[in-house]
Amino acid sequence: MKSTKFTPARKLSKEEVDRKWWEIGDFFRRNSLWMLMYCTGCCAIELPPAMTSAYDMERLGMGPMATPRQADILLISGYLSVKSLRRVIYTYEQMGEPKYVVGLGSCPINGGIYHDSHAVINQLDQYIPVDTYVAGCMPNTESVMNGFVDLMEQIRNKTANGWVKYKENYEWYKKNQKAALGEVIIHDEFHE
Amino acid sequence: MMNSMSNVEFLKALMTQSFKLVETDVIDQYQVSFVLKQDDVHQALITLKNAGWIQMSYLSAIDWPDENKIELVYILMNWERPVHIQIRTKVDRNDPVMPSIINIYPGAKYYERECYEFFGVKFPGNPDYEKQLILEVWDDMPPLRKDFDPKAYSDKKFTKREYKEDYLVLSEQNNKKEKREERKTRAESLKGGQKI
Repeated sequence: MKSTKFTPARKLSKEEVDRKWWEIGDFFRRNSLWMLMYCTGCCAIELPPAMTSAYDMERLGMGPMATPRQADILLISGYLSVKSLRRVIYTYEQMGEPKYVVGLGSCPINGGIYHDSHAVINQLDQYIPVDTYVAGCMPNTESVMNGFVDLMEQIRNKTANGWVKYKENYEWYKKNQKAALGEVIIHDEFHE
Repeated sequence: MMNSMSNVEFLKALMTQSFKLVETDVIDQYQVSFVLKQDDVHQALITLKNAGWIQMSYLSAIDWPDENKIELVYILMNWERPVHIQIRTKVDRNDPVMPSIINIYPGAKYYERECYEFFGVKFPGNPDYEKQLILEVWDDMPPLRKDFDPKAYSDKKFTKREYKEDYLVLSEQNNKKEKREERKTRAESLKGGQKI
């Protein structure tokens, strides 16, 4: 006769336990994403309708966050000048892991209308890894929201691993940053 | 009546009696432009500041590569008499030097630094006109000069995204071209009112 006693689950290996905990963590993370909005460009104008009652980002569990150390998403809204890219890299490296980057508009993708400017970089993913792009000049608020839903789906499927790539290919990213920026360290009389 | 003279007339009289003006241009009742020699600029600014133009709004510059000159534009504002004044002067383009005006208008410090960065005009008298302000770690000629090519700089400096051309330009197709030629010859033949 079979025992009616509860049979304990087989002992899981450390990797399996880790994976389970990551899944649990990812569930909570993707349902409470805090965004650090780096409003450099004109696409930032799409954020007020996304945040307020028109599209109500809060229903996806997303909210704005004031400091990089407590944020999950770095939102690059619009074009990035060389000068602000330095600050973005600083900010990105300050953020705790896991961290995700969303690029709004066509400027982070290929430079957009600033493709021939002396001051604006053309391809953001050469300098920091980008998980989701929202194309458009500027993107509709619906597509902005859709971009966030895409990001949540990516976190669920474990494909939003830009921060892992950044760690693995750190030398390559640093090389690109140096080539475009000269030096990444900020020399700024207001901080000296 | 308080003002027997209009503001512009007052200004013109003031400037003509003290300086040799190269050119005067009254744009409208709120804007006047004076072109001065480079040596007169400081004296003119002092005179105007004493006359009430206490606000230095902007120092701008224009590049004239054909004349080989860089034109500096000092824009002043008076809150008692509402006239914007532009004091214009031209400096040599190959070695542009303009003595600083921070003793007259201290706020011009940052405008001069900006001007040095974007046009390469030197401002001796300003202790840190060479310090970087907006462009950080710049490694090329001043970018707002007309012979600077931003596209070439951008191509050299920033990686571009590669796209493969998987589209078709319909107007370049052969039958479209033929039709266009036909239409063109027909239009030519109809010129002058003659019908075939």
